[in-house]
Amino acid sequence: MRHRAAATLTAAAALSACAAAPATTAVGAGVPEQASLHASFSPNRLGASTTISFGFHLATAEGLAPPPLTSVVLHMPAGMNYTLTTLGLAICQPAVLQAKGVRGCSPNSRLGSGSALVEVPFGTGSGHEIPEIQALMGPPTRNGDMVVLFYANGQTPVFAQLVFAGEVLPDTGAFGSQLATTVPLIPSVPNGPDVSIVSVDSTIGPSHLTYYKHVHGRLRSFHPLGIGVPEHCPRGGFPFTASFVFQDGSQASASTTVPCPPPVRHRHHR
Amino acid sequence: MGEGEVIVVITRSFVSPRAAAAGGLIGATACALALCASGASGASAVAARTISLNETGHLHLTSHHGFKLNEQGTASGTIRGSIYIHLNVTSTNRVTAEVNIYPHNGSLTGYGTASYRSNGGQATFSGTLSISRGTGSYAHAHASRLSFTGTIQRSNDATTVHLNGKLSV
Repeated sequence: MRHRAAATLTAAAALSACAAAPATTAVGAGVPEQASLHASFSPNRLGASTTISFGFHLATAEGLAPPPLTSVVLHMPAGMNYTLTTLGLAICQPAVLQAKGVRGCSPNSRLGSGSALVEVPFGTGSGHEIPEIQALMGPPTRNGDMVVLFYANGQTPVFAQLVFAGEVLPDTGAFGSQLATTVPLIPSVPNGPDVSIVSVDSTIGPSHLTYYKHVHGRLRSFHPLGIGVPEHCPRGGFPFTASFVFQDGSQASASTTVPCPPPVRHRHHR
Repeated sequence: MGEGEVIVVITRSFVSPRAAAAGGLIGATACALALCASGASGASAVAARTISLNETGHLHLTSHHGFKLNEQGTASGTIRGSIYIHLNVTSTNRVTAEVNIYPHNGSLTGYGTASYRSNGGQATFSGTLSISRGTGSYAHAHASRLSFTGTIQRSNDATTVHLNGKLSV
């Protein structure tokens, strides 16, 4: 594994960077990274099967591309209901995904999709989009925890197909579960510096997903049920937090809340 | 002479009819008392039985609320009857359950916890269950740490459950 030499800042510069980024936390001897997080439910309705959309943006205090990301943990609100979801009725094996792409796996293993923006260390700073990121159900861990596989099909600046896994773990307090994802280093060129992830947007849920099942010998399509929105909304909304670890050992975090859904008006028929 | 036995001795001699009738009534009463005594001591004298419970239940979802799945089906094996399970998915990897079995001569109720893992179209759970109460022939039923395992078809929440272990009745 290649290691990027940690950049250093004077104490004054570090303090000013922290003051300019009140929504983020910078830990470590490296350049402080800024992170922002956004999340939403669709539909945003208590108890409803929903599609979770989430995304994050990373940068340094100077607005430059951050160091390569090595892990991201997304903490999701307590009360998310996994009981009735029919997402991930099939398993996609990582080796098959790596070799054949998403077409090598059953449509019933798909969980969501998204895109990413990456930057090469010698780039112009405008970023390069990876237009295709797919989330699929992977084989559970030895502990039985659910695994979400992310497949990134990159064309430029790096032609590479990447597979990385996130583990769904229980959480505590205001958060009921977390998606802990290890991000592989992405070499820009052989033996060259690694690519930086600038932003990622993805969904986990039935939106734009079609599954298939055999009914009386015929193949029928259907839309899976998503994870349930909690039945009760805490004051201030549903909290999401993400924590990031970078190749140089620095860390950052960001939080957001999904607003409580409007109360449902019941019509009274006379 | 064992505990609870009463011996009635009637000595043959000249017994007048009235005396014989009185003696018969006394004897019958003594016998009845002896039978009652033996019956009462018989209840306490019968030791609790231990049976090897080996149950399989096939259930379907009847309703759900929040994190709870309510299942109903048929139990077969050592005890046959209807079975109801309330499965509470307490976290991404843990469930708790209340199990009620209704054979023709009573009922059994137990509570269990299990690890839960989802693997594509099927989820499995594995843990232990304790029988805490019963009715009818199972009024004194008791069991601890029965093996409690099963599978849930994620497409329709149909559940198969297995209970194994020693049950005192």
